[in-house]
Amino acid sequence: MNEAKLDFLKELANIGTGHATTALSQMLSGKLFQLVVPEARLIPFNEAANYVGGLEQVIVGIFIVISGDVGGHMAFLLPYDSAMVLVRLLTGDESGEMNELALSALQELGNIMITSYLNALAKMTQLLMAPSIPGIAVDMAGAVWESVLAGAQVVNEVTVIRTEFFADGKAIEGNIIFLPDQADFEKIARILGLGEM
Amino acid sequence: MVELFVNMGQICSLKTEGILTTVGLGSCVGVALYDSAAKVGVMGHIFLPKSRDNDPDALPGKYADTGIPAMIDEAVRLGAQRSRLQAKLAGGANLFPNLNVNSVSIGEQNVTAVKDHLSKHRIPISGMDVEGSHGRKMRFFVQNGVVTVTAIGKEPIEI
Repeated sequence: MNEAKLDFLKELANIGTGHATTALSQMLSGKLFQLVVPEARLIPFNEAANYVGGLEQVIVGIFIVISGDVGGHMAFLLPYDSAMVLVRLLTGDESGEMNELALSALQELGNIMITSYLNALAKMTQLLMAPSIPGIAVDMAGAVWESVLAGAQVVNEVTVIRTEFFADGKAIEGNIIFLPDQADFEKIARILGLGEM
Repeated sequence: MVELFVNMGQICSLKTEGILTTVGLGSCVGVALYDSAAKVGVMGHIFLPKSRDNDPDALPGKYADTGIPAMIDEAVRLGAQRSRLQAKLAGGANLFPNLNVNSVSIGEQNVTAVKDHLSKHRIPISGMDVEGSHGRKMRFFVQNGVVTVTAIGKEPIEI
């Protein structure tokens, strides 16, 4: 991974997070989302499992298949507590239960987050990228993570864009996982003049 | 008592006593190999069914085709007899069922591959809690071969 590629991921993180924040603010009818500069990292496969909290901690994962000029997968992972803050803000439901309404709100939120990054990337590269309907899982972090990695057939390293924002005075953590098919990552790199991946 | 945590792709073993644990099995399959006479236990955490060219430095335990033989070798190294080995499996779930409508899920492919390789080595399966759409925690008690499986919000079950 050279500097140019990391810079590209940072730029993608900034632009994508910008888009996502705007979209989320609209979804939350103007409730302010203050954004911390997102961090883009490349994580070796062996460390990936331990990245989002403890393996047994419950997290929410939204997973999307990408097709078009670029094939691959994208996921949005967030800790359970962060997810429940967002559910309360999105639905007004104060019960703290992960019910059907909560799941569907989170699915839509994940969809918006992911398509924001996808649109940013599509604009940067002029490539067509179409997202599938989102899948959602609420389960042990380890189980969600490995299912995302296995679903995308990732065996070497994984790009994680970590964002933090605030809503209602509470810190919310979100992780966007970017998993393009290897050949298509090279296509992106070529278009952006980043050299060999 | 010692408890070893087996991460994706790893193979861990214990003799006489202790616990081998994998936390957060999703589409991966946790495999417990046991020789009750020698009290030798080996646990693997299989990620995908088949090893591949673009991952030459992978741990053998990452893939079913390389993982099962490596687990057997490890058991034998610790004094187990091949003919006494039995296996228990957990995991192989599909956490995102609406994304796999037209194909066999990775979890199911992993379960099939693990079963095939065990059968190739004539190792019987004595317990199993696989597939479905939820994650699992698997604990393997080496002093007696008991394996428990826990899903979120559920009591552990013994397989």
